[in-house]
Amino acid sequence: MMPLIFAELNEENIVKKIGGNNETKHHLENLGFVPGSLVSVVTKNNGNIIVSVKDSRVAMSKELAKKIMI
Amino acid sequence: MSIQVALAGNPNSGKTTLFNALTGSNQFVGNWPGVTVEKKEGRYKGDKEIKITDLPGIYSLSPYTLEEVVSREFLLKEKVDVILNIIDGSNLERNLYLTTQLLELGIPVVVTINMLDVIDKRGDKIDYVKLSKELGCPVVPISALKNRGIEELMETVVKSAQCSFETKNIYSTELNLVLDQLSHLLPGSLDQHKTLFYSVKLFERDNKIITSLNIKIEDENIIQSIEKKMDDDSESIITDARYSYITDLIKDCYVKVNREKLTSSDKIDKIVTNRLLALPIFALVMFVVYYVSVTTVGTYVTDWTNDVLFGEMIPPAIEGFLVAINCAAWLQSLILDGIVAGVGAVLGFVPQMLVLFIFLAVLEDCGYMARVAFIMDRIFRKFGLSGKSFIPMLIGSGCGVPGIMASRTIESDRDRKMTIMTTTFIPCGAKLPIIALIAGALFDGASWVSPSAYFLGVGAIIVSGIILKKTKMFVGDPAPFVMEMPAYHAPRVLNVLRSMWERGWSFIKKAGTVILLSTIVIWFLQSFGFEDSGFVMVDDINNSLLATIGQTFAWIFTPLGWGEWKAAVASITGLVAKENVVATFGQLYGFAEVADDGVEIWGTLAASFTALSAYSFLAFNLLCAPCFAAMGAIKREMNNAKWTAFAIIYQCVFAYAVALIVYQLGNLIINGVFSIGTIVAFIVLVGMIFLLVRKGKTSEKLEVQYSVH
Repeated sequence: MMPLIFAELNEENIVKKIGGNNETKHHLENLGFVPGSLVSVVTKNNGNIIVSVKDSRVAMSKELAKKIMI
Repeated sequence: MSIQVALAGNPNSGKTTLFNALTGSNQFVGNWPGVTVEKKEGRYKGDKEIKITDLPGIYSLSPYTLEEVVSREFLLKEKVDVILNIIDGSNLERNLYLTTQLLELGIPVVVTINMLDVIDKRGDKIDYVKLSKELGCPVVPISALKNRGIEELMETVVKSAQCSFETKNIYSTELNLVLDQLSHLLPGSLDQHKTLFYSVKLFERDNKIITSLNIKIEDENIIQSIEKKMDDDSESIITDARYSYITDLIKDCYVKVNREKLTSSDKIDKIVTNRLLALPIFALVMFVVYYVSVTTVGTYVTDWTNDVLFGEMIPPAIEGFLVAINCAAWLQSLILDGIVAGVGAVLGFVPQMLVLFIFLAVLEDCGYMARVAFIMDRIFRKFGLSGKSFIPMLIGSGCGVPGIMASRTIESDRDRKMTIMTTTFIPCGAKLPIIALIAGALFDGASWVSPSAYFLGVGAIIVSGIILKKTKMFVGDPAPFVMEMPAYHAPRVLNVLRSMWERGWSFIKKAGTVILLSTIVIWFLQSFGFEDSGFVMVDDINNSLLATIGQTFAWIFTPLGWGEWKAAVASITGLVAKENVVATFGQLYGFAEVADDGVEIWGTLAASFTALSAYSFLAFNLLCAPCFAAMGAIKREMNNAKWTAFAIIYQCVFAYAVALIVYQLGNLIINGVFSIGTIVAFIVLVGMIFLLVRKGKTSEKLEVQYSVH
């Protein structure tokens, strides 16, 4: 298990666990980041990333990407 | 029969396009009570009895964002006959997540799947009949953009309003057992149809709902035992149940054609948000926008409005009319010198603003604006602002009013307030003449003066950002950035024009009220005063009430090096509109009319200012409270009198402090003058540095906001 920030570009990974406090966690879940969903990193920009999840693209900061374990 | 429809859906699902297609021009835009979340209502074009309320774009009915809270409050408290749930067909799974929640509310739901054209183009297949059967509600495919299927959709909505509706229960037997137990806690007065929704919220320990129902969960064991068993918290258990249900559902109803892993939108993102290319591309785009709207097209239309429309056409026509009807001289003066000149000067900015708004709307509609926020976020975060703060400031360099209004796209309340407070530090178009005047009269037209004004603005934003972030009001870790990036697409002409018009119109309304009133007041103060013959209409502005007022508080500005009342008065008229500053100097020095940069008065001005006091004057006027129009915009966006006052006072105090430091310390360094003022300036400087470097308050809570745009 590793945080999403370490994922290779364009590589498909499966979300294993969402960390962080409840609020952060539930936000990410509402956006489609639930255990079992496929994610891949589309671009990286100084630590911020754009992630492909459930057919949508979500941009997030490094702090949040650290909470998503793959 | 009148029907109340609530339009609900994810951001970027085409909700706005559908709402516009349904209501046309029958729209009413306001705010949800107590918050600055926009509320749009309208009536269906085909049947005026159908009232449609456009809920904000949301991902869920959880209690975390303002948008979600106002949406569910509306659905629970108001009499809603049908929920029209719009779903982006190219992103079925995530969109259905909200649907599973709407289906629990006990209100008839009609699901409409948008973006038929995209689905067809991709070759995907959705079995609408099966989907409808599984969800237990009608499913209607449409293309909001191409206006396909809208009539059928509304027929279905009307039919659904008359039918009874079964809530959809997607939970396992085990979960249902717990939900059933919890439902016994609910007050009996509650609508039976809403039992499932409330039980789920109790299970999730949704504090807002629990408080509103005025109950207490005595036996936490019911929830805890299942949490232990499933090794997750209750809210995640529910989320997981929803997504599992959707995954199963989609397997049967949705055939996705295998396509390339990278969509064309992704390919654009690879370039546009690239680590190295992002900033240069962004700079280029902004340069084009800025150049076209401020320098070329914008200036051309603005000049035309100012010089021709409000110069050669309207005033002479009105004057002719007033003379013809023998209007009293004072009334003529009020109408021509006061109202027409004042409001005209402000309305002169409308065309330029509209051009900017078109660009802004195009960038927003095609999806680039979301990327700008993403690119700028890392940089802006360093001084306490979010990436989304950049857009208002960029527009603010043209005019502060649309700049402040553009802060709406920032959802985090703190970030938005801070952006509103700092946006007008950037010199707007109307401040350029002041810069030109000072540069020309005191600095021999030195080329560094104008750029220094922008650096001053940027510096003020950075310093204010850091200082404010450390105060109790803005305390808290920066909200981590999360934002959905819509797929790139060609901008839709109607959306762009509508957005431009909505923004432009709100400004014009402002010019018609706040500015109209203030121009009348300033005109009165300027035109009347005490002369030998008593209280009369004065010919010499030096005798006016305005001059008297200026003289009484000019001392305030003495420590800044320009305690002369004329400069004080010029600053006051600058509050109405910044371009007034130059014109007022002209009048006070006895010229009826001066050029934009006031070249006629350079000599006189140079005699009454020193280079230092002039720069201090410039700094104060650039940073202090903006014009009335912009203050009106601040009030509107803050939606709170206290915050408005705080913002304006902060700007003035900050401007005063900076001007004081510039003048007093400059005087010490250049002229070796040491006085009490120098000591005060030192104390202010040290105070500012202290505020900058002190350890800020820390907050325990990590807050997340997500975008609704």
